[in-house]
Amino acid sequence: MKRRILLGIIAFVLVVGLVGAYFYFKQTPDIVQDKPHAAVQAKDLLAAFEQDTAAARRQYIDKVVEVTGVVKRVDTSGAVVLGDETSPSEVVIGLDRRHMKDYESLKIGSVAVMQGICSGYAKSSSDPTDLLASLGTTVQLRSAGVKSKQ
Amino acid sequence: MMFRKKFVLFFGFVLFVTVAGAQDRYFTKTGKINFTSKAPMEDIEGKNKTVTAVLDTKSGALQFSVQMKSFEFEKALMQQHFNENYVESDKYPDAVFKGVIANNAAVNYAKEGTYTVNVKGKLTLHNVTKDVDVPGTIKVNGGKIEASSAFNVLLSDFRISIPSAVKEKVSNSIRITVETKLDPLKG
Repeated sequence: MKRRILLGIIAFVLVVGLVGAYFYFKQTPDIVQDKPHAAVQAKDLLAAFEQDTAAARRQYIDKVVEVTGVVKRVDTSGAVVLGDETSPSEVVIGLDRRHMKDYESLKIGSVAVMQGICSGYAKSSSDPTDLLASLGTTVQLRSAGVKSKQ
Repeated sequence: MMFRKKFVLFFGFVLFVTVAGAQDRYFTKTGKINFTSKAPMEDIEGKNKTVTAVLDTKSGALQFSVQMKSFEFEKALMQQHFNENYVESDKYPDAVFKGVIANNAAVNYAKEGTYTVNVKGKLTLHNVTKDVDVPGTIKVNGGKIEASSAFNVLLSDFRISIPSAVKEKVSNSIRITVETKLDPLKG
């Protein structure tokens, strides 16, 4: 009887330990090819945050979002900017550590489909002391990559 | 005829001022900020690749905007703890730095080279604003400007508390490294 109890305790501790270790060591997932919560054009994503920030936050922030837009700039150390040459407003995308070379398949001026987690936004302000005022609206994605066509 | 000449001169002047004015400002939306916490139990590193920054080379004014949810971690649990327990990114989504290069006159933005600077300003993080005074480097290279810095902040200064259960894992002193490549800001 005592032995059974002891075995039971050992088994319990082992299971708790394994579950704990699983969560502790679990890597942030690669979500680039996942089914997105929303698929949207870059200009529509920007417009959504400009028009109704609260609604856009609820709809996009922390969600997996697929964004289609024209590649405006590429930062070879891990970021891609989608946007229109005529506007300072842009979707700025940080590449996931497993997708750091994804920019190599992109061409400035051509359309790209990217997927990541929508992680923030900044709206242009009219504050004259704000140096960032002329940068337009910026919506950010993190943990992103180029989505391959299925 | 005279009027026309004056008009052309005036127009030329306006154009010159506009262009010259525009070239004073440099920006990025893809700056990098990393933070590392070194503690006996383990090292924690967060990386943000989408930092917005503007530098006015004329006045030395410098401004950064950092979306807290844009930090990436290798471990899912750290990402979650960082956002939910430490910086509370739902409540305080961004960190802002507004400051100035104190020795801006020492930097010749027209001449290629590496300049050591001193940056002073106010850092707002977790709804707490603190005066900061940090060293930095300005590198002028081929029409572009690279601005970088590395400094430590104390989590307790920004009212970020570490639960006692993980005190061994998370250091109160966090190393921040900033690397930005700035392009001329048009318009």
